[in-house]
Amino acid sequence: MWYENEGSNKDVILSTKIILSRNIKGFPFPPKMSDADRENVLGMVRQAAGSMDLNFVRTDELDDTAKADLYNQFYSGYAFLNSDAKTGYLMSKTDGLGVVINSTDHINIVSMVPGSDIVTAYKRADELAVKFEQSMDIAYTDKFGFLTSQIKSVGTGMQLMMTLALPGIEKTEGAVQVLAKRAEKYDWQMIPMTHQDGLRESGIYVLSNVATLGITEQEIIDRTRKVQEDIIKLENTCRKNICTKKKSIVEDQYYRAYATLSYCRRIETAEALTLINWLRLGQNFVDTSDADLDWNKINKLTQKVRRNYSDSAGKGMRPKDKSVARAKLIRDIMKGGQAT
Amino acid sequence: MRCSRCGAQIGNSYVRFNGVLLCDSCARELKIGEVFRRQNALFDQAFPMLDEFPGIFSAGSDLDFANAKIRCPRCGTTLRELESGGQLGCIECYNTFNESIMKNILKLQGSSEYMGRKPAEAAKIKADVKDAVSSDPVQGEELSAQPAASEKKTIKDKKEEAKTEDLLAKVKDADLTEFTDKEIEDAMKKAAEAEEYSLAVKLRDELKSRKGEN
Repeated sequence: MWYENEGSNKDVILSTKIILSRNIKGFPFPPKMSDADRENVLGMVRQAAGSMDLNFVRTDELDDTAKADLYNQFYSGYAFLNSDAKTGYLMSKTDGLGVVINSTDHINIVSMVPGSDIVTAYKRADELAVKFEQSMDIAYTDKFGFLTSQIKSVGTGMQLMMTLALPGIEKTEGAVQVLAKRAEKYDWQMIPMTHQDGLRESGIYVLSNVATLGITEQEIIDRTRKVQEDIIKLENTCRKNICTKKKSIVEDQYYRAYATLSYCRRIETAEALTLINWLRLGQNFVDTSDADLDWNKINKLTQKVRRNYSDSAGKGMRPKDKSVARAKLIRDIMKGGQAT
Repeated sequence: MRCSRCGAQIGNSYVRFNGVLLCDSCARELKIGEVFRRQNALFDQAFPMLDEFPGIFSAGSDLDFANAKIRCPRCGTTLRELESGGQLGCIECYNTFNESIMKNILKLQGSSEYMGRKPAEAAKIKADVKDAVSSDPVQGEELSAQPAASEKKTIKDKKEEAKTEDLLAKVKDADLTEFTDKEIEDAMKKAAEAEEYSLAVKLRDELKSRKGEN
C-alpha cells in the first residue's frame, strides 16, 4: 500500500495529497444532480477511462470489505462510501492514485504519496486530468479557469493537502501560531486534525492551499516546497530544543509510551495517538538504544491507528471489542510482525 | 452521556442542538441555546425587567431572507445557499451570480485572474532545481577529463562560448517565466557581453517585475 512505501521526510510530513477537480459540461454539479444525470456521468467517465487502465467500481454496490479497502487505502470519506447517491470510483494500478466520480465534483482525481514528494503526486494526477480533458467536454472558461462546484477551488481546480506530525511545534509555546502565520504568507492554511466526533488527534495538523486563481501550477508547487522546508526546519529545531532542555522528561515519556503500546490489551484511539506523539518527539533526539523502534514502525502505527474503517463504522463491533482489536494490532506492529 | 464536543460527562444541564449533545459550558462557548437560557433566567427573577421581553422573543427570528429570492434559472440555487456554503449548483451559476462570486473570490484568494494551464495541455512542472544544477553533465565531464593546462583552457573557452550561445538562444525563444531569477541574471550579463542589447533590456525588465512582485 502506498503509505507503507518509503517517502522523503516521513518523520515530519506523513503524506501529501493532491485533488484535481473537473466537471463535465451539460450537467449540474453533483449536489444538484438527478439520479439519471448521475448514471449518465458514471457511464461517460467510465467510457472515457476505458483506455487508462483503471478499475471501475460503483460505491453503492460495494460490500463492507471493499469499502474498508477504499477507506484505508484511498482515504475515501466514510460518508461518501455509505451514501445512497450513485457514486463511483476508479482505482489505478499505481498505489494511491484514484478518481472519485460524482462526489463534490463530477471528477475528482486524487493522488497521494507518502512523505513530501509533491512533484510525483502532481504529475500522476495531471497526466490523468489531461487524458480526461482530451476525451470529454470539460467546463472551462478563460476567465475562471476550470469551473468547480465549490467557489474555493475554482481556477486550477487543484487542492493540496499535507498531513503533518508536529509534536515538537505543538509542545513549544507559541510555535503553532508562528507556523500558521508563516503558512499564511504563502497563502496556506493550517488547522489541527479533528474528527467529526470532536476527537483531536494530538500533534497532527493539516496544511492546505488557499489560492487557486492568479497562480500557476508551477508556483503552487514551488510554494509548497518552500513551506515544506520551513516546517521541517522548524519542527526539527523544536524537537531538538525540547529533547535537550527536558531530556529526562522526554526520555521517560518515550519509554512509558513504548511500553504501553508494546503491552497494552485495550486502548482507545486518542490515547494511542498521544503515545505515538511522544515516540515521534523522542525518536531522533533521545537515547533509544533500549527500544526496538524505527521510523517505519512509527509511521505504520500512526497510519493504522488513524485510519481504521471499523472505528468509523457505527454498527458491527462493540466499542470494547474495537479497543481490544486495536491493542492487538498495535502490539503486532511493535513486535515487528506484519499486521493485517 | 458525554458532551460530543469536549467529551466530558454531562450533568443535569445540557443542550441538544440539531441532534448533537453539548454540555453547558460548550453550549455557552458556542452561543447555542442562548435564547432559552436567558428566558429561564428572566422568569426566575421575581420582577423581570419588562423592556427585556421584546428582545428575547425576536432574537430567534432575526434572519435575513433578502437574498433568498435571486435564483439560478437552470438549477434553482439561491444566492443565500451560495453565500452560506460557497456551493454552486451548475455551470450557469457562474453567470447568474457573477458579481457575488467575484467578491467572494477576491476575499478568499486576493486575485481573480486565472493563470493556470489550458485544458488538455499538460502543465510544465520542473523537478527540483537544485538537483538539476548539481548534476550538470558539462561540469562532470570537465572534472573527469584532465587534459594539459593550455588545452584545458581552450576547451573550456569553447565550451563557455557554446554555453553562452545556447543560453541566449534558449532565453530568446522560450517563455521567461520558466527560468529562475539567477538564470535570467546570468543570461542578461551574457547578452550584454554579446552586444544583444534588446534581449538584455527584456531580461532586465523581467527581473525588475519579479522583484516588485516578491
